[in-house]
Amino acid sequence: MILAVNVIMLIVVLAPVVVVIWMSFTPSATFILPVTDFSLRWYREAFSYPGFVDAFGLSFELAALAAVITVALSFLAAYGLVRYRPAGGEALKAFFTAPLLVSAVVFGIAMLQFVNRLGLYNQLGGLVLAHVVLVVPFAIRSLEVTLRAVPEELEWAAMILGRSRVGTLLRVTLPLCARGLITAFLFCFLLSFSEVTTTIFMTGPGLQTLPVRIYNYMSDRIDPTVAAVSALVVMVSLALVAALNLLGGLRRLTSQ
Amino acid sequence: MLARRIGAPALFVAPLVLVMVVGFVWPLVGVLVNSLHPNTPQGIDAGHWTVGNYARLADPFYGEILLRTLRISVAVTAITGMLAYPVALFASRLSARAQSLFLLAYISPWLINTVVKALGWTLLLRTNGMVNTLLRGLDVIAAPLKLMLNETGVIIALIPGHFMFVLLPLWVALSGLDPALSWAAGTLGARPSAVFWRVVFPITLPAFVAGLVINFIMNMTVFAIPVFLGGARNMVASMLAYQINLVQLDWPLGGALAVALLAFTLTLVWAGQRGAALLAAGKGLQP
Amino acid sequence: MSLELVGVAKSFGTVRAVDGVSLRVASGEFFTLLGPSGCGKTTLLRLIAGIHPATEGRVLLNGRDITHAPMHTRNLAMVFQNYALFPHLNVFDNVAFGLRSRRVPRDEIRTRVREALALVKLEALAERLPAQLSGGQQQRVAVARALVVRPDLLLFDEPLSNLDARLRDEMRFEIRDLQRRIGITTVLVTHDIEEAFTMSDRMAVMQGGKILQIGRADEIYRSPANRFVANFVGPINELALSGVETVGGRRRGKAAGELSVWLSDAADASRPGERSLILRPESLRVSAGDIGTENRFPAEIEDVIYLGASSECRVKIGALRLFAIMPTPLTAGLNSGQRVNVGWDARDGVVVDAG
Repeated sequence: MILAVNVIMLIVVLAPVVVVIWMSFTPSATFILPVTDFSLRWYREAFSYPGFVDAFGLSFELAALAAVITVALSFLAAYGLVRYRPAGGEALKAFFTAPLLVSAVVFGIAMLQFVNRLGLYNQLGGLVLAHVVLVVPFAIRSLEVTLRAVPEELEWAAMILGRSRVGTLLRVTLPLCARGLITAFLFCFLLSFSEVTTTIFMTGPGLQTLPVRIYNYMSDRIDPTVAAVSALVVMVSLALVAALNLLGGLRRLTSQ
Repeated sequence: MLARRIGAPALFVAPLVLVMVVGFVWPLVGVLVNSLHPNTPQGIDAGHWTVGNYARLADPFYGEILLRTLRISVAVTAITGMLAYPVALFASRLSARAQSLFLLAYISPWLINTVVKALGWTLLLRTNGMVNTLLRGLDVIAAPLKLMLNETGVIIALIPGHFMFVLLPLWVALSGLDPALSWAAGTLGARPSAVFWRVVFPITLPAFVAGLVINFIMNMTVFAIPVFLGGARNMVASMLAYQINLVQLDWPLGGALAVALLAFTLTLVWAGQRGAALLAAGKGLQP
Repeated sequence: MSLELVGVAKSFGTVRAVDGVSLRVASGEFFTLLGPSGCGKTTLLRLIAGIHPATEGRVLLNGRDITHAPMHTRNLAMVFQNYALFPHLNVFDNVAFGLRSRRVPRDEIRTRVREALALVKLEALAERLPAQLSGGQQQRVAVARALVVRPDLLLFDEPLSNLDARLRDEMRFEIRDLQRRIGITTVLVTHDIEEAFTMSDRMAVMQGGKILQIGRADEIYRSPANRFVANFVGPINELALSGVETVGGRRRGKAAGELSVWLSDAADASRPGERSLILRPESLRVSAGDIGTENRFPAEIEDVIYLGASSECRVKIGALRLFAIMPTPLTAGLNSGQRVNVGWDARDGVVVDAG
């Protein structure tokens, strides 16, 4: 009986993604089911549709920027918290993970009104800021774990031998955290790339990320082109997930 | 040297704090402030203060939407609750490698953007979608089922999305459970189902409840899936927020809605954590 | 209730954790499975309990074949190493658990639980939760919980290893006393020799999933079946032995290649292969004067190590090093470098196969 429930649940979980990928290969202009012939026609359509190509470029740029900035800032902050253990460190950590408590919709509304008041509506800067705030909780948790795994004695040894704190950080700690940094970066990239709700609320027609572009396209019509684009998005996401899994990152990131 | 030491952690932490204050605190405060100003056709009247926006939220029109949102969230969370234990129990008996893959499968919906999932569910649940085609092909039904553009479709599509927020803590709790407890219960005469209900379930209950609370809160604020699977006639809170903020451009009201949603979810989080802690303490367990 | 195991084996994948074990425990007997960690004793206990199913062989409780019976039908009880008290139930409900499984009426549960708690002297703590109890108290609750269901067989999995030394001594006595009074057939698993010796009627020494020897404590100590058993239950002197022969009705052999020694009559002269002569340190006599033992040799003292009530005396016979353990007063006057006589009686030496 438990087995039956599990089989059904796995189907329910995987079905939407599988269906999108499967449907994207249909040779016909509408979805005639089941799809048994396979064609790359709609992939070619997707690639030649400037709206999607631009949006992909934007999503990529945005995710890369947000991830780099987040990882850099969070690494420094995590270093400060882990190595110095300052009073109020717990409060700071709670502050950094607070965005998790604010739903994407509420934050989207807040950012919408905020960037408008500052005249930053439809600017990449505002969007980067929002995405950074959204992924900081994950980065800070993950990098804290990474830093704790580096024994403090190694840094003391370097400092006794004459290096400054910053020098030690760059020459000793940073290389040892390489794997954790890459994992955090990939994870932030993935989350930013997949971010939908907040982005929809705070951007207009001039600044559409790929998920938002798909959303707007779907509001008009549902056709194999959008299925093809979505399938590509899924494949990129899955590739990132696979990379994360290889690096052993997922367990660490999702455990409390 | 000491002075520099006191300053050092601040230097490391300051950049992120600055970004968070500018990008997180300031916008939220701004929304709160906006919600307390009246809205005029010329824009926000920053000279006056009012709680009228909140009063407007009490309107039965909004009440109906909130009720629907609650109804859907409760349904999704309830179904998730019934499915969580069978899945977690199954997962805990798998080999280590199979477990990683298994959990990966359940985590992946959260990592794939929800618009793509909405597309997938649309292709599955619409009138000439996969499910109906399959059921009609197998002669199980004669006419297609209406699985979309109603609350049913939204509920079905929302189940896998936040399932992992209940599954992961429950799986951790089950894995951490001392096997000797089940063995002790067994040797004392409890058959396998009794071992579950009298030992495993009570001990893992706090983690389960905590996960359900998180799951409920996340279901309250979903956007893309209700838009496509529910449609304009089945509005939920997030769609209402979109309407007010981006269509009507009534930011004071939109701000009030945002603040109200935030207050509601934060209260739930707090209550959920207190509840789980009390449950655990009452049973002599670690919360 | 007697327990019998016939050719019981358990494999986990390619690993044979229990390899063809047969033994019999008489009704009311206190039987111990003794061995180092990894020898299979805990696995064997779990097979008896039904936690893991046996891959081969049969388990018989009072003649009834329970080899494939599910755990909850076997009517036995087990006390686990970490006690396995249900953390969400108080002491009373923990002890009552087995009775509730058996659908015993409420009043009877109350009486029997109170009786069981009185047996282990914990009536006052009935309302407490396990987290509020000390290790020793938790252990007693575990014992009460097992006894209250009146099981046919009582199993202990290293129950005393998490207790401090003083508590351990106390509990050893209490458990043994309780067992004798109730007369319940008991099997205990431990790696602690003192525990096995003080508590059991009989014991089985295990290694590598097999039973090496079954017997009473004195049998195992004085007549170990092989080198492993001898070394496991106490420190030994081991001498290579060759040329075992019978001379005038007595046995004789060559120890360490050079010493002619008299052996006990139990020594088997007809067996081929490498042999060892095992000497317990307490059976060696060391004295500056005459020692009157059948085997005696001149030796030199290497060291005398004070251990309190007894002392260790390390001696050299030529190149052969031996050590003796004697009551300290007997070592008075013995010093490093001193020439002495060292010896033992033939019947104190045990001949086993080497290696």
